[in-house]
This record gives sequence, C-alpha cells and structure tokens, in this order.
Amino acid sequence: MRIAVTGTPGTGKTSATELLPDRFGDRGVDLGSVATDGEIRAELSSGRNRLSTDGVCHLNDLLESESLYTDVDEDRDSVIADLDALEAAVDDRAPLVVESHLSHHLQADRVVVLRCEPTELERRLRDRGESAAKARENAESEALDVILAEAVEIHGRDAVYEIDTTDIDPVSVADRIADVVVGKRDPSAGTVDFVGYLG
Amino acid sequence: MSQDDDKWGIAHVHASFNNTIMTVTDLTGAETIAKSSGGTAVKQNRDEASPYAAMQMAEGVAEEVKAAGITGLHVRVRGPGGNLQKSPGPGAQATIRALARSGIEIGRIEDVTPIPHDGSRAPKGKGGF
Ligand SMILES: Nc1ncnc2c1ncn2[C@@H]1O[C@H](COP(=O)(O)OP(=O)(O)O)[C@@H](O)[C@H]1O
Ligand SMILES: [Mg+2]
Repeated sequence: MRIAVTGTPGTGKTSATELLPDRFGDRGVDLGSVATDGEIRAELSSGRNRLSTDGVCHLNDLLESESLYTDVDEDRDSVIADLDALEAAVDDRAPLVVESHLSHHLQADRVVVLRCEPTELERRLRDRGESAAKARENAESEALDVILAEAVEIHGRDAVYEIDTTDIDPVSVADRIADVVVGKRDPSAGTVDFVGYLG
Repeated sequence: MSQDDDKWGIAHVHASFNNTIMTVTDLTGAETIAKSSGGTAVKQNRDEASPYAAMQMAEGVAEEVKAAGITGLHVRVRGPGGNLQKSPGPGAQATIRALARSGIEIGRIEDVTPIPHDGSRAPKGKGGF
C-alpha cells in the first residue's frame, strides 16, 4: 500500500507529512485499529509499514541525495527528475507515504492532492524565501489545477483525495491525510475553482 | 489570407480541471477586446457539461470578437486542457473548435502551460508512471 501526497509547491506537503508520524506513532495510537480499510489495517497492524519517521518518504530529499535526474531546466533552476529511477528508489524503501509535487507520477494506491488558493500560495512561497518568478509560476499552476488534472489522469478519479489547505493549519492537514490513510475519507476532485486568479 | 494586423487578435484560453475562461486581446496583449464569463455555466454543470459550457462560452466571445472587426485569432492555451492527451476538464479543444466554427480564422496555437517546480520538475509531456 502506498499513499502519494502531492500538490503544487507551497501547498504544505512537507509541513503536514512531517507531522504525520507524530499524529500517530508517538502518541501511541494504533493505526491498525482505527483503519477502516481491510488491506491497510492488516498492513499497519503487521508493523511493516507503520507510520514511523521511515514511513514517510520526502522525494525532494531522495532526489537530491541520490541524484535521480536526467537533465537540468536552467530557466527554472530545477533538475528534471528521472521518474523510473525515482520509482525504483522509492520501491526499495517501501514507505507508506510518499511526499512530493512529483509523487503522483509514481505508482500509488491513493493520491492526496493538497490545494491552496493561489494568492495565499504565492505568499507562502515568498515567505519561504522563493523567487518572485518561482512563486508566480507555481501559483499559476495551482490556478490551472495542473497537478490535480495529472493525478486524475494518471490514477483515476476514485483514487484521488483533494484537500484545500488555504484556511487550515498543518496539523489539520495532517489529520485529513491520516483520514485518507486509514480509509475514513471519500475520494474527491474539482472541489475548488482557482482560475479567477488568472483574471 | 494575409494576416492584416488590425484584424487579428490573441485568444488567451485558461483551461483548468473544471472551468475554462478566455480573454481576447489585440496582438500586443495590451487591449482587451472581449472577456468570457463562462465560469458560472461550467460550475453549474460540473459533472457532464464542461466541454459544452466551454463551447458556449467560446461562442459568446466569438460574437463579441467579430463585432469588433476581428477575423482571426492566435490562441495561447494555458492549463491541463492544453497539454494532456485525454483532457479531464472541458479542455481548450472545445473552445478552439467553437471559435473556428463561428467563422473565425485560427492562427498559431501555442501551449504555455506553467510547470510546477521546486528544485525539480517532471519531464515534459509526462502523463503517467
Ligand atoms: N496549512 C498551512 N497554512 C499556512 N502556511 C503553511 C501551511 N502549510 C505550510 N505552510 C507554510 O507554507 C510554506 C510552504 O510549506 P511546505 O510544507 O514547504 O510546502 P510544500 O512542501 O508543499 O512545498 C512554508 O513556509 C510553511 O511554513
Ligand atoms: Mg516540500
């Protein structure tokens, strides 16, 4: 079982998934006992994929530490990921949760797509120290639902869980992701409309 | 037909997952000639009528554009409707077809969809694992 947490940079993937283990393991909550989904209950109860720190894979770190890219996009100051190599590296580690704006390009049983109103997203990215150009292009991507559309295209509507983070804190986002993990949330897509950002 | 500068404009099509909006400007992009208000129609019929609503939106804009003396449009598409094989949203295709059907000549079609990036990005045209 693999849960992909994706979303435009700035939607809060890293912040929320870093809190995930804390929401469970450290508080002594037995994920297996709260899971409504049979397969995941078995997996969590067996301990193989328990949400420990190792249960969450942050692809940005993996990609950088293992140089899993083929090319460089100079304009965007970004490397172009080698998705096959990334899939192989993630597969080896067998995490329960994979977090990245690229995670929906990998195999996944469920795909969580974090969303954020583009003006707020732009502000978050600027506050995080990103350039105006990077904040702007990511906000435009978010306005056009680029990642949501890709996630639905690749995995189908039934596997996608959209969460609007605009007005909720990272702890609440983590709780909603946890609900997806244990099977307590229904699939959703197209619940927000941010295209107005583009005027 | 020669592309007489004052008869041509640019249609900026923004096609998201379940909405399509369009703005038509002159060739410099400075002057707005027509602006769609198709979003609400799309939202009301989210499940099955998105391409239809996009088409209706384009037809409305086409009338305004023709009334302004524009005979041809270059198209700048932004959004997943423009670069995925199977569009889950209304897509830009319905919009472009509706413009053409209304008698407007279609010039260059350019895809300028933004790319999410954060020190890394996916390869272009990557549609699945
Ligand atoms: N739910 C939230 N509400 C407000 N700000 C947030 C939220 N989640 C994250 N942030 C802030 O926004 C910025 C981007 O968050 P981050 O977790 O790095 O996003 P991502 O990993 O999706 O790129 C950070 O500065 C973070 O502190
Ligand atoms: Mg991150």
